[in-house]
Amino acid sequence: MASDDSLPTLKVLLIGPSGAGKSALLTRYCDDEFDPESSTATIGIDFKIKKLSVRGKAYRLTLFDTAGQERFRTLSTSFYRGAHGVLLVYDVSSRASFLTMERWFDEAEANTGEGVALYLVGAKLDKAETSREVSYEEGQALADAHGALFCEASAKTRENVRKPFCDIVNQIVSTPGLLSGGNQGRTVGTVQVGKDGWYLSGCSC
Amino acid sequence: MDSLGDTVWDVVICGTGLQQSLLALSLSRSGKKILHIDPNEYYGGPDAAFSLQETEAWVGRHAAPSSGLFKSASITKPEGSTGLSFSRAYSLALAPQLIHSRSKLLSQLVSSRAYKQVEFLAVGSFFTFKPAADPEQKPTLARVPSTREDIAFEASLSLKAKRGLMKFLKFVLDYEGEAQRGVWGPHTDSPFNDFLQKEFKMDSDLQKYIITLTLSLDGEMSTKDGLAIIYRHLTSMGFFGPGFAAVYPKWGGISEIAQVACRAGAVGGAVYMLGTGIQAEETSSNDIQLQLTSGDTVKTKLLVRDNDKEEGTFSVSRLVAIVASPLKALFESVVEGAPLPAVSVTAFPAGSLRTDADEPYDYPVSVAVHSSDTGECPSGQSLLYFSTLSTPRSKEALNKALDSFLQAVNDEQMPERLFELYYEQGRGSVASHVDGRVLTLPNVPPSLAFDDAALDPIKTAWEVAMGEDTANTEYMMFPDREAALDDEMYDD
Ligand SMILES: Nc1nc2c(ncn2[C@@H]2O[C@H](COP(=O)(O)OP(=O)(O)O)[C@@H](O)[C@H]2O)c(=O)[nH]1
Ligand SMILES: [Mg+2]
Repeated sequence: MASDDSLPTLKVLLIGPSGAGKSALLTRYCDDEFDPESSTATIGIDFKIKKLSVRGKAYRLTLFDTAGQERFRTLSTSFYRGAHGVLLVYDVSSRASFLTMERWFDEAEANTGEGVALYLVGAKLDKAETSREVSYEEGQALADAHGALFCEASAKTRENVRKPFCDIVNQIVSTPGLLSGGNQGRTVGTVQVGKDGWYLSGCSC
Repeated sequence: MDSLGDTVWDVVICGTGLQQSLLALSLSRSGKKILHIDPNEYYGGPDAAFSLQETEAWVGRHAAPSSGLFKSASITKPEGSTGLSFSRAYSLALAPQLIHSRSKLLSQLVSSRAYKQVEFLAVGSFFTFKPAADPEQKPTLARVPSTREDIAFEASLSLKAKRGLMKFLKFVLDYEGEAQRGVWGPHTDSPFNDFLQKEFKMDSDLQKYIITLTLSLDGEMSTKDGLAIIYRHLTSMGFFGPGFAAVYPKWGGISEIAQVACRAGAVGGAVYMLGTGIQAEETSSNDIQLQLTSGDTVKTKLLVRDNDKEEGTFSVSRLVAIVASPLKALFESVVEGAPLPAVSVTAFPAGSLRTDADEPYDYPVSVAVHSSDTGECPSGQSLLYFSTLSTPRSKEALNKALDSFLQAVNDEQMPERLFELYYEQGRGSVASHVDGRVLTLPNVPPSLAFDDAALDPIKTAWEVAMGEDTANTEYMMFPDREAALDDEMYDD
């Protein structure tokens, strides 16, 4: 475990309206599980960790779900601190969910630093055939308008599930300055309060 | 989705200040159904931190000379100044507090596993302000030696003074011992100053050093309290690393802890609504029914709310200033291996400032300077948080303190002043009230350092809400809620 702690850590958030499929996407990606009966309230998980290698270099990816705080739009500014990337998730079978995305982009942009990677995901792609309410082109256009990447995915069928995570990590690590960015990375003077006695974190970037 | 009215909540908590937020975390992770609301659109209540825009809106609501906990708020922006960055580049803390390394607040954040989302920074050197000896000269700052090594190497101290201080520090480290009690026992409730003078023969300069370390608002305290505070400082010194005794949560201090606690509450299942207050309440034999301003009607077994009334004890005057200089000289690490501090504290002893009428000002003033490492201002700037006891002339004294301080720290030219915020903060209530199914939590005292006494009412409220479950549940002890590490290789 000790060696994993020293890996560069990437913080990626999943946001978007309740019921869009954020938790299902996260659970499918991290645990390869899908529970169609799962309730819409996301409780219990603080964040999930995944070790990931991109271009031969290993990273520690921490993925933060909303913990239900998206329901009344009460995500805190502290939730966004230090994020390297944000996945904005809507449901391709719900026009209403897509229509909220402009506000989610606004919130993400207001609370993160410049150059943070944004990625739009149209979830529940398996429902597209029978009940699509948002076209691929509309999704792509919204993403383009915010300088974000875009894809559609299904947690149910696994289609494209890894793509948004791998792409956003790739984007983060290939954007100069984003990983070591002044207001993003930990400052050298950070104090570790969670250990017996003390030590200082080196710059983990 | 279930509507809010379908559930009988165990506890509805109103207000998202530090205490309510820690309560939400402790109860939701202990299995209680919590609805957590706040009439404000932001987290943190009286402990909040604001962008410039939010600060302006807040000042609009608290400009009146009497309107609850905060009052007489105003903003001054020097004309023609262009140095301010964009609104969100700032995070102004309403009631910034440093946290001693041995504070129970930190150990509770660790045992509840909430600490991982907070970044803690070192609080560094303490200074006292020395007025200019004559009008031709500048005032200066003198570093307060606060460890034995510090004292040994402090050039400005005479050998005799060093010996006296060393002896005193050694005494405090063991002040609960029998022999020591024999010495301070007779002075228990008499002024700490007198004790230092009588038992340790300290002159007024040395007394000032010691009083500075207590970070007291009025410089007056009993011997018993003074010793306890110095003991806290000394035992915290070096606890998390060499050269510092306290930490500060990056991005806005206590406000950040409140937000992280709320998120941890949400992870435990608590439901959050901001911009939502209580319009009406009706108590029945089994529960209390609340009509929320959102239009929802909810039932709960217990209602916990914050106090937003001034209860007329004392109040603190605050001046928050943004200046266009990193004030580097304040943030040097002076001990080998010590982290670069992000916060530095200067005390203006009573009488060291002069009013407009050129009379000495009789109360102490303090300033906590935050570097841009706190994330509260852009790099190249600093945030200065002045505070003093409210008096008819406290606003004037704070302005003088700002002037004099900038004179004392400047090298060549005076740093440009970009933005100033003034307000007064009431003490609020000091004790919890329980009235049937309604419990009102007291306020966090507006001191410079966080006082652990503010944690006791949270635990009491937790016990009330837990009822019979109190006996078999540990307070604020929770496992991590994160999934195991999992490997994946990906190469494009
Ligand atoms: N058909 C289908 N249903 C999904 C998919 N992803 C999620 N769901 C369902 O949509 C509902 C909401 O999903 P959830 O992940 O809890 O949404 P969240 O509120 O954004 O976290 C649940 O009932 C899921 O089972 C998907 O890819 N396909
Ligand atoms: Mg969810």
